[in-house]
Amino acid sequence: MKLKNKLASFNIITKLVLMIILLMAFPYIVKKVIYTNADRNLLEKKEKLTNNLDIKGIKDFLLANDSTEVYGSFSNLHNEFIQLEVSSNQKKIEKNIFFNDKRRIENKTAEFRILQHNFTYNSVNYKFEIGSNVKEIDDLIVLLHYTIIITFLVISIFMFVIDGAYISFLLKPFYKIVETKIRLINEPENFIHIPINSKISEFNDLDMALNEMMHRIKGLFLKEKQFIGNVSHELLTPISVLKNRFENLIQNQYLADTVVDKISDSLLTLDSMKKVIANLLLISKIDNKQYKTDEIIDFQEIIPHLITNLEDRIHEKNISVTQNFKQKAVLYGNKTLIQILISNLLTNAIKYNHKNGSIIISDVFINNSYTLILSNTGLGMNANQVAQIFNRFTRINFEQEGQGIGLAIVDSIANLHQIEIKVTSVMNQVTTFSLRFPNLKS
Amino acid sequence: MNILIVEDNKELAIELKEFLANSGYVCKISNTCESALDEVNSNDYDIMLIDLGLPDGSGYNVLKSVRKNQYKMAVIVVSARGELDDKINGLQLGADDYLTKPFALAELQARLFAIVRRLGGFAQNELELYGFKLQLQDYKVSYNEILLKLTKKEFDIFQYLVLNKNRVITRLQLTEHVWGDVLEVNSDSNFIDVHVKNLRNKLVKHHTIEWFETVRNVGYRIND
Repeated sequence: MKLKNKLASFNIITKLVLMIILLMAFPYIVKKVIYTNADRNLLEKKEKLTNNLDIKGIKDFLLANDSTEVYGSFSNLHNEFIQLEVSSNQKKIEKNIFFNDKRRIENKTAEFRILQHNFTYNSVNYKFEIGSNVKEIDDLIVLLHYTIIITFLVISIFMFVIDGAYISFLLKPFYKIVETKIRLINEPENFIHIPINSKISEFNDLDMALNEMMHRIKGLFLKEKQFIGNVSHELLTPISVLKNRFENLIQNQYLADTVVDKISDSLLTLDSMKKVIANLLLISKIDNKQYKTDEIIDFQEIIPHLITNLEDRIHEKNISVTQNFKQKAVLYGNKTLIQILISNLLTNAIKYNHKNGSIIISDVFINNSYTLILSNTGLGMNANQVAQIFNRFTRINFEQEGQGIGLAIVDSIANLHQIEIKVTSVMNQVTTFSLRFPNLKS
Repeated sequence: MNILIVEDNKELAIELKEFLANSGYVCKISNTCESALDEVNSNDYDIMLIDLGLPDGSGYNVLKSVRKNQYKMAVIVVSARGELDDKINGLQLGADDYLTKPFALAELQARLFAIVRRLGGFAQNELELYGFKLQLQDYKVSYNEILLKLTKKEFDIFQYLVLNKNRVITRLQLTEHVWGDVLEVNSDSNFIDVHVKNLRNKLVKHHTIEWFETVRNVGYRIND
């Protein structure tokens, strides 16, 4: 997941969480605020009414309301009422109590927010109540609730867009580094050293560090290249001297037979030394990507040619070779290296084959990837051996001559070309190498 | 034929000189670019054998200035690096052939022969030996106008041995010459014996071949 998207999703999640918390907390908070406000209103009204109340006033109140000793008054819309009555409650409570309760006014029952005040006047206990219809308050709560939520939603969306745009803007130099520089990290020679010039110092630091690192790698890379060149020169020149000296020496007709044999053996030793060096240099050059891979590879041309080159070995074991190419694919790679790869596999397929055995070479498309399949009868390998075959100087079968480097070269060449190699083998039956090429260039 | 050997490794230069002198070439050795250019300017050479890694510069520089002034001299570039780029570069700069160190002296002999053929004055498209005629251009061998049916490999072996006649050619050298350097295990040289056996069977039908000698377990020699 990209950093940009990660930040955006974090942005969404925090806003959603905030929204949920608000949704849950709002009813409580709003209720609290509105009730406090409503209670204050009731209190103000009560103060107004009771401040100037004296015995006459009380009597007026009570008289005006029959002789039940209860006075009641309510507004036209039944949303407020005032009530004063003589209370039997002997307790002298000079306290304001707020509560919700149902009251019946004019045959209609409704819930009210009530302020009750008990007081004693001239040794008579009175109970004074002033109430306001709760339905109105609740309506207000709902209204307020929705208003706040919608406002918040709008702000959230607005903030999300703004945040997203700003994050994108901030990360621009970072993505520039990723897209123009990190992509080239495996190709020190093509690396772009131009600074990105961001206004954010951390990105500049990162860019600078990357440039410096790649500069160093490029230097090391060149040094390694030189080293390889030097090694090949320093080792191959003395081999060359010895080889040519022995070749001159062996022409001497007065040499004893045993000396001739020893010179011949020395030439063979020199040859295998030369090959080890040449092969190690080859691997190192492949691993350093010193080969271009833009030539067209045509297996229908390469493989028959290689088989012709190996026909002596094939005839010696009387091996039947079946070439079964059906797919048409345009593949790119380094022709020389691909030839070495196939040649090494074919050499093994012959070397470890039985007499009268067989080799089948075919191709197929697997998930749009061209796959070349080489299978041969023969000794086969167990899972342990299969796991080791691509290691340098690993030899599975010591009866066969070889240096154990052929498949290491195959592995390096395959890596260079991003070819995926799968090996399956059954002891004394069939061994199969499938080479899956990367998706075709369009 | 005069050959200038430009090689900074003195031991190698001596071995090359010994070999080429035995083949009838007149050789001189230069160890640096500078002395090579001096030699080229003061004497006539038919062929120059030049190493790329010289103490005072690249053999390419010599090649370049030689190609500016001299057009007749053939140049074989020798390098231990074996880079494909080197090879292409060398041939583009006007080298006639390219050899990678270490190379077999017999291979050098074969390359020189091809160059000498191309040089013109010594135009030779046929080799003859005990009545066998090798037509080099179309890979054919005949005896008394009768064509021998040789395979490509048998022809290669025969020609290589004839070009290096009176010399022991090891089975390894033959293998390398016939199969090239692509295979991992060239020392697996039993196959060469099969081809030599077949070649001999074809030759012996026309003439005795006591001159086609097997040298112990080492290799073969054609005596003339």
